[in-house]
Amino acid sequence: MEINMKTKKLNPTLMALTSSALTLLASQNVTADAPPDQAEVGVRYGKYIEDDIGTDKTLNSRSSDRYDIDVTQFHLLTPVGDNWSLGIDAQWEDMSGASPWYTGDSTSGDAKVIMSGASIKDTRKEVGVTTRYYFDRGNLGINYTNSDENDYESDALSLDGSFNSEDGMRTYSAAISMSNDDIKPTVGRVQTNTLKEEKDIRSVWFGVSQIVNQNSLVQFGLGYTNREGFLTDPYKARDKRPDERNEWVFSAGYRHFFDTQDAALHFDFRYFQDDWDIVSHTVEAAWVQNIGESLQLTPFVRYYTQDEADFFSVVAKTNQKYYSDDYRLSAYGAFSGGLKATYDIGNWTLVASGERYQSDGRFGMFDYTKAPGSVNFWRYNLGFDYRF
Amino acid sequence: MTILSIEHSFNAMGGPCRLRLDVTDERIGREAIAGAEAEVQRLEQKYSRYTNDSLTSRINQAAGSGQAVTIDNETACLLQYADTAWRASDGRFDLTSGVLHRCWDFRSSCLPSQQRVAETLQLVGWQHVIWDSTSITLPLAGMEIDFGGCVKEYAVDRLAALLESFDIRASMIDLAGDLAVRGIPQSGYWPVGIRHPGHRDRPLAGIHMMGGALASSGDYERCMLVNGVRYGHILHPCTGWPVQDAPVAVSVLAPQCLVAGSSSTIAMLMPAEDSRQWLQSLGLPWLLVDAQLNCWGTLAQKRE
Repeated sequence: MEINMKTKKLNPTLMALTSSALTLLASQNVTADAPPDQAEVGVRYGKYIEDDIGTDKTLNSRSSDRYDIDVTQFHLLTPVGDNWSLGIDAQWEDMSGASPWYTGDSTSGDAKVIMSGASIKDTRKEVGVTTRYYFDRGNLGINYTNSDENDYESDALSLDGSFNSEDGMRTYSAAISMSNDDIKPTVGRVQTNTLKEEKDIRSVWFGVSQIVNQNSLVQFGLGYTNREGFLTDPYKARDKRPDERNEWVFSAGYRHFFDTQDAALHFDFRYFQDDWDIVSHTVEAAWVQNIGESLQLTPFVRYYTQDEADFFSVVAKTNQKYYSDDYRLSAYGAFSGGLKATYDIGNWTLVASGERYQSDGRFGMFDYTKAPGSVNFWRYNLGFDYRF
Repeated sequence: MTILSIEHSFNAMGGPCRLRLDVTDERIGREAIAGAEAEVQRLEQKYSRYTNDSLTSRINQAAGSGQAVTIDNETACLLQYADTAWRASDGRFDLTSGVLHRCWDFRSSCLPSQQRVAETLQLVGWQHVIWDSTSITLPLAGMEIDFGGCVKEYAVDRLAALLESFDIRASMIDLAGDLAVRGIPQSGYWPVGIRHPGHRDRPLAGIHMMGGALASSGDYERCMLVNGVRYGHILHPCTGWPVQDAPVAVSVLAPQCLVAGSSSTIAMLMPAEDSRQWLQSLGLPWLLVDAQLNCWGTLAQKRE
């Protein structure tokens, strides 16, 4: 007997059952990792502008430009066959401006900086290639990145992988990377403290992310980095650092999606510690708000605080074994906040963001002596992604 | 290209199961069968009422303790499905109704006392269950849930989806009587027999299936006669008693075995006449056998 399936108007009970059954069946295919099903190219243009250093902060009482960086980024990600993807990332950075050369005591008794004087100009080019293999429960990737500028060259190799639990609720990730850097400071900019040096960086990272329920997720990470070689800043007059640095980092994050607001809260914490005695805490919160189908606005705030390195002093004590007056090794705190917007139109996604960063010794949680070189900056980004 | 028919039989989900695949590469067929059987076993172990460490047992053991049992996404979606079916059936489809069988012994020819039924009935009712997408709590000690009413059908649908990922020309999945077919076999169609409830070896209807799923419910064999009244083993979760004049067998054909299965279960819990109307309004092909062994439904009309 053949069956004649007549087309009938669906009864509400049948619709409810069918819809619920299809939801159940559809929900079970989320665990398989798969390469992206479309290729994507993206371009970003960014500007990083440090505030000028004021006349009251410099020994020669002259205001000075600080660093400006123009960044152009390109990325391509494409599936290859059923189980692989290939990614290419390229970046050009044009840097110009001046940076603190050294800090000295002024006649008034306050420590002030001498800037590196004439404008520094350099271009950094970075190219990275990533291939990734996807299997049912995870993926494995390998990346090679070369970064080249006049006075610095770096080759880095990294391996990373992630693995999902059977129920798809937990993901373990791990990464290992190493890089080999050559430092050849350009003599003439300022007097440099070396001519040719090397350093090696090795790091490992392990992370777990757990889906708590339909609307929330927690993640934890643990990382270790070892740097060995010439870790001194070659362009600073009074800088001599140990030739090894061991760093540990712990991070925790929470994501919660609010159905009624159609928005997600991201909350992240990061703890850092190294054997130069630097300890830092970072707290960041972001509110990812969907507006309609295509617009997403993300305001965010971040607070950072760190304790100083054991060989740091505002005016470097050059009679010690190690010494530095680099404000980046001082005790300080920093607030930053900004807004990121993305807009989807068809196969295009437009991205724009702006951020303000302000740092000061008194913003921090640790005892400090104010480093006059502390920095404030603006950062902007504009770009698009196109999928095909 | 030669097409091979591979058949594999095993026991699971409370009965004999059979997979039949038409493939061009035997190796792929064997791989698919191994994957399918493993999936059935995974679901059986996870949702069985009979093993102590299954999720179902853990949920039932925690009943009345106030302790919520954490569930995964798959289970949450199954509960969501059961909730939909409960609402769509005015409480007839109820995962908590299994405890009613504690007071009914269909081999005894003795009816339970109304008091006993009423007591047991206090432990029944999906509306009492506290659940969300991450956990479930059975609030009363002695309450139980049983995924038996949907996990076999769900397994059929899962296997059908799983087999799609292999290079298979046609397949038939039969898990203890609930089945799904995909693709056109060499014979042109899948012959499926719906068993006559009164005659074990005589098919009541033969269907040539070319797609979709078929599920059946019946209680012809498991029933008792007391003072000339037939009491079937399918109990109404709201009364604790079998439904008078209920059908003895219902089969429903649907794109998903889950939908076919819950439709036939729900239809078993109405007087046959209401049941026929309900099935007719549902719009899916159906077959109903009433207590007098009369056949009704869109699948019965064209009997050869």
